[in-house]
Amino acid sequence: MLDHKPTQKTLVEVDGLKLYFPITAGLFRSKVGDVKAVDGVSFSIFEGETLGLVGESGCGKSTCGRALLRLYDVTAGSIRIGGVDIAKLSADALRRMRPTMQMVFQDPQASLNPRMTVAGIIGEPLDEHTTLNRAEKLARIYELMDAVGLSRDFANRYPHAFSGGQRQRIGIARALALNPKFIVCDEPIAALDVSIQAQVVNLLEELQDRLGLTYLFISHDLSMVRHIADRVAVMYLGQIVELASREALYGSPKHPYTQALLSAVPEPNPEHEANRRRIILTGDVPSPANPPEGCNFCTRCPKVMDICRKVEPVSREIEPGRFVACHLYETTTTAGATAAPEASGANSLSTNNTTTQQGV
Amino acid sequence: MKLKTALLGAAATLVFAPAAYAERGSDGEVKIIYWQAVSTLNPYLSSGTKDVETASLVIEPLAGFDENGVVIPRLVTEIPTVENGGVSADLTSITWRIKPGLVWSDGTPVTAHDAVFTANYCMDPAGGCAQLARYEGIKSVEALDDLTVKITYNEPRPNPYTAFVGATSPLLQAAQFANCVGAAASSCTEQNFAPVGTGPFVVTEFRTNDVVQMEANPNYRDAAKPAFAKVTVKGGGEAAAAARAVMETGEFDYAWNTQISPEVQGQMATGGKGEFIYAFGTLVERIEMNMTDPSPSLPEGERATAAHPHPILSDIRVRTALSKAIDRDVLVEVGYGNAGRATCNLVPAPAAFASDNTDCLVQDVEGAKALLTEAGWVPGPDGVRVKDGMRLKLLYQTSVNAVRQDFQSIIKQWWNDIGVEVELKAIDAGVYFGGDAGSPDTFQKFYADVEMYANNFDGTDPEPYLAHYTCEKAPSPATQWQGENVNRYCDPAYDALVVELGRTGEMDKRAELARRMNDMLTKDTMTIVPLVDRGRLSARSLSLGGVVLNTWDSELWNVSDWYRVK
Amino acid sequence: MFTFALRRFLIAIPTLLIISLAIFLLLEAAPGDPLGDVPLTVPPDVKEKMRAALGLDSPWFVRYFLWLKQFFWVEPLNLVDYIFGTDYAQGMQRVISFQSRQPVMQIIAQRVPQTLTVVGMSYLIGVSIALPIGIYSAYRQYSWFDQIGTLVSMIGFSVPTFFSGVVLIIVFGVKLQWFPSIYDTMHQVTDWESFLKQVRQMAMPVMVLSLYNAAQISRFMRSSMLDNLNQDYVRTARAKGLTETVVLLVHVLRNSLIPVVTVIALGVPTIFGGAIITEQVFKVNGLGQQLITSIHSNDMPMVMTLTFIFAILIVTFNLIADLLYGILDPRIRYD
Repeated sequence: MLDHKPTQKTLVEVDGLKLYFPITAGLFRSKVGDVKAVDGVSFSIFEGETLGLVGESGCGKSTCGRALLRLYDVTAGSIRIGGVDIAKLSADALRRMRPTMQMVFQDPQASLNPRMTVAGIIGEPLDEHTTLNRAEKLARIYELMDAVGLSRDFANRYPHAFSGGQRQRIGIARALALNPKFIVCDEPIAALDVSIQAQVVNLLEELQDRLGLTYLFISHDLSMVRHIADRVAVMYLGQIVELASREALYGSPKHPYTQALLSAVPEPNPEHEANRRRIILTGDVPSPANPPEGCNFCTRCPKVMDICRKVEPVSREIEPGRFVACHLYETTTTAGATAAPEASGANSLSTNNTTTQQGV
Repeated sequence: MKLKTALLGAAATLVFAPAAYAERGSDGEVKIIYWQAVSTLNPYLSSGTKDVETASLVIEPLAGFDENGVVIPRLVTEIPTVENGGVSADLTSITWRIKPGLVWSDGTPVTAHDAVFTANYCMDPAGGCAQLARYEGIKSVEALDDLTVKITYNEPRPNPYTAFVGATSPLLQAAQFANCVGAAASSCTEQNFAPVGTGPFVVTEFRTNDVVQMEANPNYRDAAKPAFAKVTVKGGGEAAAAARAVMETGEFDYAWNTQISPEVQGQMATGGKGEFIYAFGTLVERIEMNMTDPSPSLPEGERATAAHPHPILSDIRVRTALSKAIDRDVLVEVGYGNAGRATCNLVPAPAAFASDNTDCLVQDVEGAKALLTEAGWVPGPDGVRVKDGMRLKLLYQTSVNAVRQDFQSIIKQWWNDIGVEVELKAIDAGVYFGGDAGSPDTFQKFYADVEMYANNFDGTDPEPYLAHYTCEKAPSPATQWQGENVNRYCDPAYDALVVELGRTGEMDKRAELARRMNDMLTKDTMTIVPLVDRGRLSARSLSLGGVVLNTWDSELWNVSDWYRVK
Repeated sequence: MFTFALRRFLIAIPTLLIISLAIFLLLEAAPGDPLGDVPLTVPPDVKEKMRAALGLDSPWFVRYFLWLKQFFWVEPLNLVDYIFGTDYAQGMQRVISFQSRQPVMQIIAQRVPQTLTVVGMSYLIGVSIALPIGIYSAYRQYSWFDQIGTLVSMIGFSVPTFFSGVVLIIVFGVKLQWFPSIYDTMHQVTDWESFLKQVRQMAMPVMVLSLYNAAQISRFMRSSMLDNLNQDYVRTARAKGLTETVVLLVHVLRNSLIPVVTVIALGVPTIFGGAIITEQVFKVNGLGQQLITSIHSNDMPMVMTLTFIFAILIVTFNLIADLLYGILDPRIRYD
C-alpha cells in the first residue's frame, strides 16, 4: 500500500492548524490566557487512505479532528479539503461543503438526537442538501441502512431502542448519507464492547473499499489503529510528534514518546510479550494552557537533553514519508536549531518549516 | 384641621348643599373604597363594620345618629321620648310611628309588620344574629297598626334607642326575607347580597369580598336625592393603598378607615387630590391594670382570680405612678397624628358623658418616682426598685400591631426611667381577642400584670359599657374566663352605681352618674389608664361634597346628601 | 400509557382524601376563630349563638364528614342541576362560606375569570418572553444579552411582588398616571375603547407577575438549552451541514423543551391559586385575594375548599406533566 501512496492525490491538507480556547476570568470575563488544544499541526491525507491519529486522552486529537471539519472555529492555519480552504469559509459556504466531509462520533448514544427516529436522523441531511422526493429519500435511507447492516424494520425506532453497536451503525449511515469523500472517525469504537469493535471497524474498512472513502481515524487504541490505518500520526500536547507509515512506526518508533506509547501495547504473542520492555513515563501531561518551554515532551522524556528545555524541535522528514519532531534526530540543521533560542517562541517559523518539508 | 373647623365646614356644606343637587342622579358615579372588602349586605349576619356601613346605603333603621351622637328620625315621623309620649313613663316600652307613604325600593309600602319581622328574624335562636345585643331584653315587638311599632322591654330601659336605631339594626323587608328565618338565614344568598331597602341606593351587582355596585333608588323618599346615579364600593388591599387611591391618584372619591402612620398621612396630603377627615368617638386605647395575681406559681384555677390580689398593683400609688410616667401627647404623635388625642377618660364622648378629668395629661416623672418611694419601693443596685426583696417587675402584654408595639417600647422606656422593670409580650390578635378559654393568652384571662388594647361602646349610651366593671363580670374559671371586667375590679359602691344608672331615665342624671363611674375607674383608682382617644380617619376626594364623618353611626350615614363639587 | 394514567389516577384518590383530612386538621389546629373579628361590643352569649349557627358546635369529625359529603356529593349534584336544569340537589346544604354565607363554589366561579385573565395572562406572557430569552441567553452564553438577562431574572426572582407592585403603582399610577392602581373587576370589554381600558388596568399586575414567571422559566430554559447545546448530537447536527436555525430550533430546542414543558405544566395550578400578593396589591379580587381574606377571617369552609381544589389541580397537573414527559421524550415509556 505504502509504495503507491505518493502517486495519489492529496485530499486533505492541514497547515499550521492552531486551535486555542480562551481562558476567561474575573468579573468581566476578560481573557487571561489560552488552552492550546491544537498548537500548530500540519499533515496531509491522501485520497482513499486512512490516517490514524493516536495519543493519550487530552492530547488534542479529538479537537484536531473536529477542527478539521470546522466544528470549531480555528485560531490559525489552513485546512484544505479538495483544494478549498475551509478554515476561512463563510458559514453558508461551509454548510454547502458539509456533504463532502463527515464525522463519526465517539459516543453513539449522545451523538444521536434522542427525539428523532432512525429514518429522521439519516434522512435529515438529505432534506438539507438534496432535492430528493419522499420516496427517493426513503429509498436512500433504506439503502444506507442496508449498507451499514441495519434492518429496514428499524427505520421508525428511536435511538434509545438500539444497542451501542447498532447506534454506531446509525451514526455511520448518517455520515454516509451525502456520499462524503472524507470522514473523520472520532474514536468510533471507544464506547463499544470489544466484540462489537471489530464489527464496526470491519464495516468501516468495507465501506472504504466499496466507496473509496478517506478516513482520519482518531483513536487511543494502538492495536486497532495498527489494524486499520495506512499511516499514523502521534500527537502529544497539541502537536504531532511523529508521522509515519504504519509499518515504519510500529516497526521502529523514533520519537521517545512514540516508543513509550508503543511499549505499552500488550503483545499477543506470549514470547514477545515476555521480552517487551515497558517504558514508564513519569509525571503528568503538562497543562495545555501552560505548555513547557522548548519541547512539549521535555518534562517526561526519558532521553531529555538540555536543548530540549530551551528550543522547540521542528518536525523534519528523517526518512521519506517519515516525520519526527525531536532533537535526537536533528543532525542536519543543528546550526539553525542552535540559532533558534532567541526565537524560541517563534512557533510560526518552525511550523512553516514543517509545511515546506511535508509537501514533499 | 381641628374638630371644630371640621364641623364648621360640614355645617357650611350642609347649608350650601341644596343648591348643588337639584336632581336625582345628576352627578354620575361615586366610587368608595373599603380596603376590607364587603362580604355581605345583611348586617344581621355579619358584625363587620365594612358590611354594616355598606349595607347602610341600602337598608335603613327607623332612626339613626347624627355626627354629634343625637338620635335623628329616618323612617319615622319623630323620635319617641317620655315628653312626647313615645316612651312610656315607666321606661318599659317605646312606640315608633313610621312615616306615612314610605315605600321600599320595589314600590311596596313599608309597614310596622316589616319591623316586627326584622326583630323576630334577629331574635330567632337558630339564626346566629350578629346584632342580637340590639334586641336584648325585649319582651315583645308588636305592630299596633300598619305604621306603628311598639317595643316592650322586660325591665325599665332608660335608653330605649337600641332596636331599630343605628346602622346595625336596619329594617328588613318581611316579604323578601320571609323564607330566611332561623337556620335558613345562611342559605338566602340572594337576599343577603341584595336586600330590598328604603335607602338612597339599590344593589345592582354584588360580588362578595370584591365589589358592590348600586344605583339610585327610584323610590327614595326625597325626590331630589341622591345626587349620584351610581355607587361603586370596591374592596381589597390595605389602608395605605386605599388612601393613595383617593389622595394621590384620584381614582376613588372616598376611602374608609385610612389608618396609616402620621408620617405617611402627611406625605399623601401633599397629593392635592383629597383630604383626610377625622372625627372622634368612644374608642379609647388604654392600659388595664390586673388587680389579681397572675403569677404562674399559683395553681391553675386560682391564678389571676380574686383569691389572690396583685402583689404590686394592688397599691394605688404604684398604679398612679405608672400613669404619671406616661406622656400621652408623645404617644398620639407617634401613633395617630391628627386622628388621635390624649385622654384620661374611659368614656370620652358624647360630650355630656365625658368627665372633665384631665389630670393625667401632663407627664410627671418626678411625682411618679416620689409616689413609688412613698409606697416603699426603693431603687435597688441596678436601678430597679425593690420592696421586701421583691423587684418591681411587670409583664406588659398586648396584641400584635405596629402602633401597639411602638407604644409598648416607648412606655417601657418611661417606666424603666422610674425604676420599673418591664417585660413585653405581643400576642396574635386572633388569639388575644379570640376568647378561647383554653388559651393562656387571651386578654380576658389576663395572665400578665398590665395589658393594652382599645375598646369602645356601641351608640351613644355608655351604660352597658360601664356595666362591664361590676364584680360579677370578672372573668374567672367559674365563667370559663368569659366576662368583660378583665381587671377584676370589684367595688360594691360601683356596682350600686350601675344599678342606679339602670334605673335612671333622666338624661342629665344619667350623664352625671356615668361621669362619676368613669372617674372611679380612671382617676380615682387608676384601674384603667386611658392613653389615646382614637378618632376615625377617612379620606375624601376634594371633588366630593357633603361628606360629614360620623362616628356614632355608619360613616356613609348621609350619603344621600353627597354631591359632586363642580 | 393508559394503564399508567389510570393507575396514577386511582392512587390520586386516597392521596387526595388524606390531603383533605390533613388540611382540615391543620385548619382545625391553627389558632384563630371564625368569630375573632367580631367586635368586643358583641356580648359573649351572642357570639356563642353565632358560633352554633355556623355549625361550629359539633365535633371536628362530624364537620369533616359533612364537608366531604358536601364537596363530593352535593356540589357535583349542584353542577349537574346547573347544567341540565334538574333539581337533584334540592334542599341539600352546600359548602357555605362563613364570611358571606354564599355557596363557596359560586364565589370561586365568580372569581376564576379575574384570576385567569390577569394571572393566566401573565403566565402566558411570562412563558412567551421567557422561552426566547432563555434560548438566546444559552446560545450566546456570557454575552451582554445573557448577562443582562441574568440580572433581570435575578431581580425578578428576588424582588418580592409586594415591593415591585408598589413601586410600579407609585411610578405609573401616582406619578405618571398612565395606569389605574385599582383593578376594576366589573369592567366589561365591549368595544375598542373598553378593550384599551382593560389592557391599561391589566398592565401593572401583569408586568409584575410576568417578570416573576419569566425570570423563573427563562432560567430553566437557559440551563436546559445549555445542557443540550453541549451534547454530541448537536455537533452531529452541525456536521450534517444543517443551518444554525435548524440546529438550534429543531435539534436543541425540541430536546430542551422536554423538562421546560413539564415545569410549565406544573406551574399551571399556581395560576388558579392566583397570585395572593399581587392580587392584593392591585385589588384584582381573584382567587388569591379570596384565599387570603378567608384565611384572615378564619372562613374555614372557604379555605378548606380552595386549598383542596388547589391540591386536586396540583395532583392533576403532576400527572399531566408526567404524561407529557412520556409523550415528548421517546426514551420514557410507561408500560
